[in-house]
Amino acid sequence: MGALSVKHLLGIKYLKTSDIQTIFSTADRFKEVLSRPIKKIPSLRDITIANLFFENSTRTRISFELAEKRLSADIVNFSASSSSVKKGETLIDTVNNILAMKVDMVVMRHPAPGAPVLLSRHIDANIINAGDGINEHPTQALLDAYSIRERIGCVAGKKIVIVGDIMHSRVALSNIFCLKKLGAKVMLCGPPTLIPKFIDTLGIIVEYDIRKALEWCDVANILRIQLERMEHTADGKTVRYFPSLREYALYYGVNKQLLDSLKNEVIIMHPGPINRGVEITSNVADSKQSIILDQVENGVAIRMAVLYLLAGKVME
Amino acid sequence: MDLLLRSARIIDPSQYSRIRILDILIRNGQIVSIGKNLKNTSGTKEITIKNSYVSPGWFDLYAGFCDPGYEYKEDLQSGSLAAASGGFTGIGLRPDTHPVLDSKGSIEYVINKTKNNIVDIFPYGAISQNLNGADITEMIDMARAGAAAFTDADQSVADAGLMMRCLLYAKGVGKPILHFPKTSSLSPDAQMNEGETSVRLGMPGEPAISEELMVNRDIYLSEYTNTPCHLLKLSAAGSVQLVKRAKNKHIPVTASVTAYHLLLDEHLLESYNSNYKLSPVLRTLKDKRALIKGLKEGIIDVICSDHNPQDMDAKKKEFAYSEYGMINLQTAFAVANTALQNKLPLSKLIEAIAINPRKILGLPIPQIAIGQKANLTIFDPKQSWTFTKNNIKSKSANSPFIGLKLTGKPLGIINNNQLYLNKT
Repeated sequence: MGALSVKHLLGIKYLKTSDIQTIFSTADRFKEVLSRPIKKIPSLRDITIANLFFENSTRTRISFELAEKRLSADIVNFSASSSSVKKGETLIDTVNNILAMKVDMVVMRHPAPGAPVLLSRHIDANIINAGDGINEHPTQALLDAYSIRERIGCVAGKKIVIVGDIMHSRVALSNIFCLKKLGAKVMLCGPPTLIPKFIDTLGIIVEYDIRKALEWCDVANILRIQLERMEHTADGKTVRYFPSLREYALYYGVNKQLLDSLKNEVIIMHPGPINRGVEITSNVADSKQSIILDQVENGVAIRMAVLYLLAGKVME
Repeated sequence: MDLLLRSARIIDPSQYSRIRILDILIRNGQIVSIGKNLKNTSGTKEITIKNSYVSPGWFDLYAGFCDPGYEYKEDLQSGSLAAASGGFTGIGLRPDTHPVLDSKGSIEYVINKTKNNIVDIFPYGAISQNLNGADITEMIDMARAGAAAFTDADQSVADAGLMMRCLLYAKGVGKPILHFPKTSSLSPDAQMNEGETSVRLGMPGEPAISEELMVNRDIYLSEYTNTPCHLLKLSAAGSVQLVKRAKNKHIPVTASVTAYHLLLDEHLLESYNSNYKLSPVLRTLKDKRALIKGLKEGIIDVICSDHNPQDMDAKKKEFAYSEYGMINLQTAFAVANTALQNKLPLSKLIEAIAINPRKILGLPIPQIAIGQKANLTIFDPKQSWTFTKNNIKSKSANSPFIGLKLTGKPLGIINNNQLYLNKT
C-alpha cells in the first residue's frame, strides 16, 4: 500500500486525488478483514490514539473507536463541552496534557473551523479531523464517496446532489472537495438562506427546486437539518433561516412519492443521524434505493484505512 | 530641552509643497530658528541623522491602550512608549476599556494619568453608556473634561435613531462622532471576509455590504443632520465609492483606513492564523487596491494604526475564539509606507498621519516654523528594517509583522519639551 502525501488528515482540501485512491484501496482490504469471523488485526498494536471530542458526537466517535479497536490500537477518550473549553483550559493545553502521556495520534472533533490546523502547528502527533465546526469532516466525505463507488462502480462523471443545510454542515464542504477531486458533478439544493453566497466558486451547481435536483442526479446525499445550529443569537435576537420544520419537510424533504414520480432511480445517502419525517421520510431511508447503512459500515473501513496509513508515518 | 537638528529634510505639507533641507534650532521646546548651517554658539546638543526627514508630529486617530481594566495587555504608559517609538506625538484613544470611558470621571482618569507625557493622549468618550448601543452618554460633561471625540469603538451603532441623535447632540458639543460601520445582523457569526476564501476555509463570511450598508446610512444621517461624521477603518471598495459620492455632494463625512489594510488581504487567513483576525476583516486584493486609490484621490483622509493589544492567551487560540486586533503603533508608518511606496507621494502620507487626523478632531496643526512649539517626528522613509520581538514596547506582542522586513522607520519624536529617540 502506498503512503499519503500528508502527515495529518486535516481536510479533503489538503489531499491529492492519489491520496484518496490510496485510502480507498486500503479500505477495500480492511473491508475484507471486517467480513472475517475474527475482525481484529494487530497493525496498530504499538500505537496510542486519543479521541478528543470537544463537541457531541455519537456515530463518528463510535466509528473511530471501533476502527481503532479493530486495528488493536490503545485508546484514550476525552469529551468536553465546547463551552467549558472556551472558558477554561485552552485547546493547546488540553492536547499537550494528553500528549504528555505519550499519545501518537489524535482524532479530534471541535466546533471551531481550523482548530485541527492550529493543533497541527503546535503538536507532533498525527491529527485526524473528525469534524471542525462547519469546515470539514474528511472521513465522512471519504466514506460517502467510497459508498458511491461501491454501489455504482465509480465516482467520476456521476451526478451527485447534496440536499439541505449547506451553510451549517461540515459534511457538505468535504463532500464537495472529495467528489470534485474524484471527477463527479456536484449540485447543491436547499433553501437559499442555507446556501453560502460564494459556494459556486467551488465549481458546483446550485438548484433551489428539490424535484429538479433529483431529476438531474444519480445520487442524492440528504443532509441532516442541524436543529442545534439553526438558531443563532445576534444582538439578543434569534436568527432563523427557515420558518418551520413543517415547511422544510414539505418543500425540501425527500419522500417516497417524490422519488417514485421520477423517471430515474436515485441512490439515497444520509450522513446520519436522520430526522425522520423532516429531511427524509422513513420509507425512503429504509428503501432499497438507500445506502445509508452501507455508509455506516464503510465508515469503519475508511477510518481504519486512514488510521493505518497515517500511523505508517508514525512508524517510519 | 535645547536641540539643534542638523540637515533635516523638512516635510510640512500644510505649509510647503516641497522638501527643504535645513537645520532646526529648538530652545525650551520651541522652534527658535530654521536655516542653513545654523551657528551653534551656546553648545546646544546637536543631532545629525543621515537621510532623516522631519515632519509635524504624527497623530494616530484610533488606538487602544486597554487602561483601565486590561492593564495586562497594555497601559497608558506602555502604550505611550509604543506610540513614541512609532513616531506618534498624539493619540486618539478608543473608549472600550473596563469600565468604558463613558463619564467625566473616566475621561479625567486618562487625562490625569498622561499629563507631562511626551505623547499627547486624547481620550474619546463612548457614544452610548457602557457601549450598550441604546442610551446616549453625557457628552457635554465628557467634552469639558477633555474628550476629543465620541465613538463606540469597534461596536457599530445599529440603531439609526440613536446615531442620528448622537450626531446632533455632538454637534452641540462641537466634537466629532467617529463611527465604525458594520451591519452585524447580516452575518452574526462571521469573523472573516465573505468570498471564495471563506467558502474554502469553511468559515462564516462577512459580506462587504455589511460595511457598505452602514456607510450609506451614516452618509444619509450626516447629510440629514448636516453634521460631520467620521467613518472609521474602511475595508471595502464599495465603501470608498460611497464616500467619494458623498464628498462630491459636500456631505461632511471623512474616512480612515488602517495601515494594515493597505498591505494585507484575506488570503493570509488560509492558515487560520489568529494574528490575522482583525476588525474590520481583511478583504480582497481588489478592495486593498481601492483603499490605496481612495487615499490617493483624497477620498480616504486618514491612515490609523488601529493598535489593539491582546495578550498571548487571547490570541493563541482557535480562530473563532481568539480576540480581534493587532499591536501596530510601532509598525503603522512602516506598514503604510511599504504598501504605498511608489503609489502615493510622501507628502500625502504625512497628511494622512499627521495633518488630517487633527483636522477631523479640530486640533491645532503643528507647524515647523519659527516661534512654534516643536512637535516633530523624525523618520527615514527609505530605511529597511525588521520588526522583532525585542523591539516591542507594548505589553502585548500580537503582531503579524514580527520578523517581517518593512521599509520606512520612525527614528524619534520631539514634543512637550521632550525628546524620544529609537535606538538604532
